[in-house]
Amino acid sequence: MSAEAEILPIPHVARAASAGSSVALLRLRRVAIAVARPVGVFVPVFLFATFITFLLGAVTGLSPAYVQLGDAATPAAVARLNHQWGLDQPFFVRYWSWFSALLHGDLGKSWSNGVSVSELIGQRMTISLSAAGLALIIGIVLGALLGILAALTASSLLDRLITSFVSFISVLPPFVVGIALVAVLAVGLHWLPSAGYVPISAGFGPWLSHILMPALALSLETVAAIARQLRAGLVGAYQQNYVLGARVRGLGPRRIFFVHVLRNGAGPSLALLGLHFPNLLGGAVVTETIFALSGFGVFASQSALRGDVPAVQGILVVSIVLVVGFNLLVNILLNRIAPAAARGI
Amino acid sequence: MPETVLTVDELTVHNHFTDVPAVTGVSFAVGPGQVIGIVGESGSGKTITCRALLGLLPELFEITAGSIRLLGRDTALLTEKEWTALRGSSISAVFQDPASYLNPSIPVGRQLEEVLRIKTGLPRKAARARALDLLTAVHIRDAEYVYQQFPHELSGGMLQRILIAIAIAPEPAILIADEATTALDVTVQAEIIDLLADLTRRLGLALIVVSHDLAVVAQLCQRIIVLRGGTVVEQGTVEQVLFSPQHEYTRLLIDEHHRFGLDRFLTASDRAEARA
Amino acid sequence: MLPRLIRLPAFWVASGILLLILFLGVFGHALAPLDPLKGSPAVLASPSAAHPFGTDYLGRDVLSRVLAGAPVSVLGAVEVAGIALVCGTVPGLLSVYLGRAFEWLTLRIIDTLIALPFLVFAVAMTALLGNGISQAMLSVGLLLAPVFYRVSRAAALQVSSSQYVEAATLAGASAAWVLRRHILPKVLAPLGIAAAGAAGTGLVIVASLTFLGIGVQPPAPTWGGLLASDLGYLDYQPYAPAFPIALIVLTVVALNLLADVLRDASGQSGQVLLKKRALRKAAKKKRRVLAITRAVQEG
Repeated sequence: MSAEAEILPIPHVARAASAGSSVALLRLRRVAIAVARPVGVFVPVFLFATFITFLLGAVTGLSPAYVQLGDAATPAAVARLNHQWGLDQPFFVRYWSWFSALLHGDLGKSWSNGVSVSELIGQRMTISLSAAGLALIIGIVLGALLGILAALTASSLLDRLITSFVSFISVLPPFVVGIALVAVLAVGLHWLPSAGYVPISAGFGPWLSHILMPALALSLETVAAIARQLRAGLVGAYQQNYVLGARVRGLGPRRIFFVHVLRNGAGPSLALLGLHFPNLLGGAVVTETIFALSGFGVFASQSALRGDVPAVQGILVVSIVLVVGFNLLVNILLNRIAPAAARGI
Repeated sequence: MPETVLTVDELTVHNHFTDVPAVTGVSFAVGPGQVIGIVGESGSGKTITCRALLGLLPELFEITAGSIRLLGRDTALLTEKEWTALRGSSISAVFQDPASYLNPSIPVGRQLEEVLRIKTGLPRKAARARALDLLTAVHIRDAEYVYQQFPHELSGGMLQRILIAIAIAPEPAILIADEATTALDVTVQAEIIDLLADLTRRLGLALIVVSHDLAVVAQLCQRIIVLRGGTVVEQGTVEQVLFSPQHEYTRLLIDEHHRFGLDRFLTASDRAEARA
Repeated sequence: MLPRLIRLPAFWVASGILLLILFLGVFGHALAPLDPLKGSPAVLASPSAAHPFGTDYLGRDVLSRVLAGAPVSVLGAVEVAGIALVCGTVPGLLSVYLGRAFEWLTLRIIDTLIALPFLVFAVAMTALLGNGISQAMLSVGLLLAPVFYRVSRAAALQVSSSQYVEAATLAGASAAWVLRRHILPKVLAPLGIAAAGAAGTGLVIVASLTFLGIGVQPPAPTWGGLLASDLGYLDYQPYAPAFPIALIVLTVVALNLLADVLRDASGQSGQVLLKKRALRKAAKKKRRVLAITRAVQEG
């Protein structure tokens, strides 16, 4: 029926000759904003957080002397070691050398054994990231499934069951779940090994059997948060006018769900994922202790107990980078999929 | 083509939330190319009637009596699947506040293309071409540029045009315009009204114009229904209702609209002239 | 809101449990039947009349240890919630009155705080500030302040921009009066909900820290510490973790219940929900009848 266009007199169709290039410009501008804005938030947060980290480390009375010599540290020894480690230099000199080294990936040397902190943390990252990564996947998949089911059957018995279940697991902290899992699955039923880590190079099965319980323990909070938020987001999206508009146009329920509702309803959940990531890192500290994984978390608590300041600072910096980096990715993704949610609608 | 596109007979809708009938005993019929207006204040039942016609009554509202026949079919017997097939391709609607009826995360052109693909089965390229044609047909310049803009980047007038394009894309037999011009500037209002008039003429579209604004209704419609408190207080041709209103309420409405230059439309010759 | 709150049974259940826990938190030491530090030859014994929760690997009565360990966890949780409340609410309310620069600064600080994982930060703080629970709680309280900031700020913004407050201010009302009379009632429920959440998080973090051996020196009993030693002897007493876990979970569940109840009491009524459900059922029935009618007509 394009005869229509000819019948209806079209007053001023000034179809700009540059229509093509202005479209391209618009697209470019959009991409720039989508990436630049999150990065613009990341930088100040990173700077501020690392400064606080250094500041806190600098104002403690701790010294490598206490770490290495313990109670035998005399004031003379403390002064000597402080000088050796360059700790008697002015604050901003130290801050600058620490920060510039940081930007190159050098996190200083551990007070306990002089080994590079970056190296120590790096070795342990694969383990921690395996657990956190698997936890994230479980959290997203299981959480999404539960959230979608609950939203689609809103106010039904299934919805109530899911909501109660989710409420229940949301209050279970990772370390409680971890201990319970060990007690039941490992010691009680002997289904899974209770401790240790096996790299994936040794086979997928063994790796999974060792990493599953820690990942599961870490993931439950995320499952609950995602399920809750997704349910609320989807139910909210269904009440919006654009769903009515889509129904009026004669679009089917499947299409409305996958193309319209999910996109907008999932926005807040995606944002939540970014906010929840720190919890995964935090939970790792305890789960690694329970499951005897020599990861980043165990290193954190050990260094803290020893009073090894550079190590603790390094851990904080790595946490900050991980969290902010992850949030950055999530924000970029959000801008791409659901720009409305990213704008805060 | 059937004699009437839509026949409503003694429609009664009950509001279970307030336990009061929202609409009682409404009857009218619309044929192809005809324009009927539904006039009333807020809460008079205009919107509920429209939603009943679309099979989209909100929760807690129920049709308790009367019938609606769309293209000869009794809509009470339709399953949800049949409704989905009918909506868009037989009956469609545009509402107030156009921005909220579009998905804020998808460019507007893609939403138009979606309707074309799903309802008329066109392949992607052909659907895109047709979508551009439709945008041009509703008087949008730079159709290609507008095509990939998001709803929040466009003005109300543009968005309403796009929604009209989306509504008529699958070539429905009847279109409902529920307060379609209310949220727009006066000049834009006039353009939309012209557009709707054009479409009914060219496409043989049946049109239901719902408004609280008598001027809009007077311009477009041949027949008017006046609703008050969910019941029809007066019904007839535009000339009958506006010249010799029988009911006191209608007289009240007309008096209130004097200020908006309704006088122009109250003389027969002026009316004929305006609608030519 | 208060009348509605009192009528909800969940409110009494949650409050009852929390008061009990609080009681344990304050009087835990005194309530322990036996000396929590005193060992005995009856090592790793099963629950019995003399030892309702059994004994641990040194023969100490577990029930007594659980009770004596309550104060650390419970009071730590209260401390966290309190600090977060004060550190978050005050800037939040002030940000509405102190202008753009203050607002920008606080928002940046908030962004930073959200970026730090609680436990890692708490652990780091104990290293840097000293190995004590209070220091850890202080730092966690700070990390939890953003929620209170957001909540109090939102309420303050909503109220300060409303017309009746504008009118009152024009008539000479001071900011303090507006705060007390209009903002406070609006903000109490969301703050209560946030406080319940913060207390729950605080409890878990205290337990985690003591589990790791940070903050309190053994042999002083703590719930986390108990769990740590239980882990070592799981082969002999697989049920042992259940006691401290039960208490922790019970407290957190009660806190969440209280938060839910507060939310419900300040929200929409359930009547609408019931009506909607009834109508949906009726509509389903009607559709079924129509389908049958049609089948009969066609058949």
